[in-house]
Amino acid sequence: MADLIIETRGVSKIFGGLTAVNQVDLEISRGSIYAIIGPNGAGKTTLFNCISGFYTPEHGEILFQDNPIQGFTTDFIAGQGISRTYQNIRLFANLTAIENIMVGQHSNLETAWWDAIISSPRYRRENERSRKVALHWLDFVGLNGFGDYLACNLPYGMQRRLELARALASDPALILLDEPTAGMNPQESEEMMAFIRLIREKLEKSIILIEHDMRVVMGISDKISVLDYGTKIAEGSPKEIQANERVIEAYLGPGGAALAKKYQDRRRKKQNA
Amino acid sequence: MKTQTREILKKGIVFAIILIFIMSIGFHEIAAALISRIFDVDVKRGSIPEVRFMMYFIGLYAFITGWSNIRKESGTAIKKILQGAIVSVIAGAIVVLFDIILVFLTQNEIDVRQYLTAFSIDSMNYFLFDQGQLGPLYHFGYFAIFGLAGSALHVLLETDSVQNLIKKVTSTIKNTFEKVNNALPLFIRKNAKYLLGLIVLAAAIILPRTWGSYVNFVVGLVGLYVIAGIGLNIIVGLSGQLVLGYAAFFAMGAYSVALLNAPEPHNIMLGFWPSIIIAVFMAILAGLLLGLPLMGLRGDYLAIVTLGFGEIIRILLKSDLLTDLTGGPRGIQDIQGPTIFGKPFNSDIEYVYIIFAFVALTIFIYTRLQNSRTGRAWLSIKEDAIASQATGINLKKYKLLSLVIGAAFAGIVGGISAARNQFTGPNDHSLLVSMNVLSIVIVGGVNSVPGIILGAFTLKGLPEILREVENYRQLAFGILLIAMMIMRPKGLWPASRPLYEKATTTDKKENTSGKEPSNG
Repeated sequence: MADLIIETRGVSKIFGGLTAVNQVDLEISRGSIYAIIGPNGAGKTTLFNCISGFYTPEHGEILFQDNPIQGFTTDFIAGQGISRTYQNIRLFANLTAIENIMVGQHSNLETAWWDAIISSPRYRRENERSRKVALHWLDFVGLNGFGDYLACNLPYGMQRRLELARALASDPALILLDEPTAGMNPQESEEMMAFIRLIREKLEKSIILIEHDMRVVMGISDKISVLDYGTKIAEGSPKEIQANERVIEAYLGPGGAALAKKYQDRRRKKQNA
Repeated sequence: MKTQTREILKKGIVFAIILIFIMSIGFHEIAAALISRIFDVDVKRGSIPEVRFMMYFIGLYAFITGWSNIRKESGTAIKKILQGAIVSVIAGAIVVLFDIILVFLTQNEIDVRQYLTAFSIDSMNYFLFDQGQLGPLYHFGYFAIFGLAGSALHVLLETDSVQNLIKKVTSTIKNTFEKVNNALPLFIRKNAKYLLGLIVLAAAIILPRTWGSYVNFVVGLVGLYVIAGIGLNIIVGLSGQLVLGYAAFFAMGAYSVALLNAPEPHNIMLGFWPSIIIAVFMAILAGLLLGLPLMGLRGDYLAIVTLGFGEIIRILLKSDLLTDLTGGPRGIQDIQGPTIFGKPFNSDIEYVYIIFAFVALTIFIYTRLQNSRTGRAWLSIKEDAIASQATGINLKKYKLLSLVIGAAFAGIVGGISAARNQFTGPNDHSLLVSMNVLSIVIVGGVNSVPGIILGAFTLKGLPEILREVENYRQLAFGILLIAMMIMRPKGLWPASRPLYEKATTTDKKENTSGKEPSNG
């Protein structure tokens, strides 16, 4: 058996009569970049929310490093080593960038409130360390010099990176990225891609990402899963997914595969001519 | 151009209406009395101050009218001055129309007090400077002249040369301050914080002895509200839970101290100090009992439920059912005050010392918590509860913690004020008290200790000192709140976040500059 960081077994999430996620099995190996794609409303973010504990799935199991985590609270799961970013950035807007990262370290720190009041040596040591770690991550995402800005005053691209820094600050084993390049121009998404690779290679983290930008998805992921109406319809390497008829149909509608083929042929002919 | 004239007209009308309103509620007499205080003329209660103070008031009002209309974008200096003057003249013209009615009423001695209580003949005459039919003319003249003056002064202050002068003066002040600062020995500069603390401590010990007992009473009240404000700020400002029943925690503290230290209904006489500890624990217990089922609620729902909780506590204390237990609607009298080494406390000075000590303790605890891991966790919950939970913060635990710590401070406040007043009753813990504390936090500045102190002074201290305004306290309160929200939406003294990155870089600089002499 491969070394799996996270595994979902038959996970289903039902809202009223709507099955948002339907019997999804995923096996994500340690140190990989795994992408989940699919049309709008396919249940990608719902699956993320199941993993990070915002929702409890009705059926199925989620195993993080071979331990079941479904049904636990979000903060417990975060403490286990899963952190995430959000589709629409959710920073702590009126805290400074550094403070955002310091909050991100919360589950790695252990001094309690009375330590702060009596300012015990333990507390002072930890506070100092936490500040240094925050500065390190600030530097890592290239935001040095902006540490004392309120998060809401940073430009969009920086907010994305800050959110990533906050997610990294707890030193998680697995990071969930929900549309990390949404709203970015091609150059910015290029930078973000390089950055995600860096996280995997330098920090040896496992990454799951949801993404609509196919250039990003095909460029960085080791493996891709496609969701449509809550069901996993395909899984495989970028090459395999590009050629998969069901995937093309999910994106372009019935008959889409033929259509896609037609346009591909036409383009090939043009290139040949 | 057309919009400009319309705006000028509108402003003139607004200023006129405000003045007419002030007269209609009889506030002009109080305003004149306030002005008379500045000139050190004391006015007996119920009597009208001299006419000249009314003239000063109208003059000042016209001056402000002229002052207020200058917008930066519009035209040449003369045009700007004229604009302000025109606004004032328009206001004056409308006031004159109102004056004519007053003249008619006074000349024919028609008594309308049955309908409009402030319109007594004396009061109306006073408004007209006691000049009868000439009154309107005087008013118009005042508005024209003082409006022009106000407008001119404002324009003058905005000209470049004056602005430059102001800049020069402020920069020289700053420079001299810096020079003095640099000239101070290193020892003082390094320990400035502690020295400042010593000065404040000395002031806190000496000043109450020089004040009268009334001032001490007011300062004590402000101090109690500072503690309460900081306590509530931990709940509302840091962890972002809108709790409206804060007075219920006061009640817990007050009744703990009262029941354990009064001859009726139980005659336990435990002594103040043990009972204040019990008061804190009772408040904490109430916080826990309220908090445990409620921590899932957010925003409006939490506000409503806590509001209900506060009222339930008050009504329970008021009910006849519990009269044997809590003294019922009449409250508890003759509460024994604290003693230190057998010496009882009974003057306001001694209470001021106790209150100062607790204020210091509160500020100390608050500032320590504010920028700790716990404080940041609270703030993150306030900013985005979902995201903060996903960073590993246990929402229930931290929300409950903030509620409990905030409640503990309320318990202290309740306990001290019960002992200080030697009385506590259900109406000391009404919804209005909770609202007052909340207003202090919002007006002063959420999460800002100096802001809360300032807020407590403006909302609790000022009304006590300005006794004249007493009848209009609610009005002044409302106007102040509205004005605040427009002009300083973040509070009188807004909070700022700590600058960690800057601190690190300056640390480095200081280290290197510290190294140089040792090398050389």
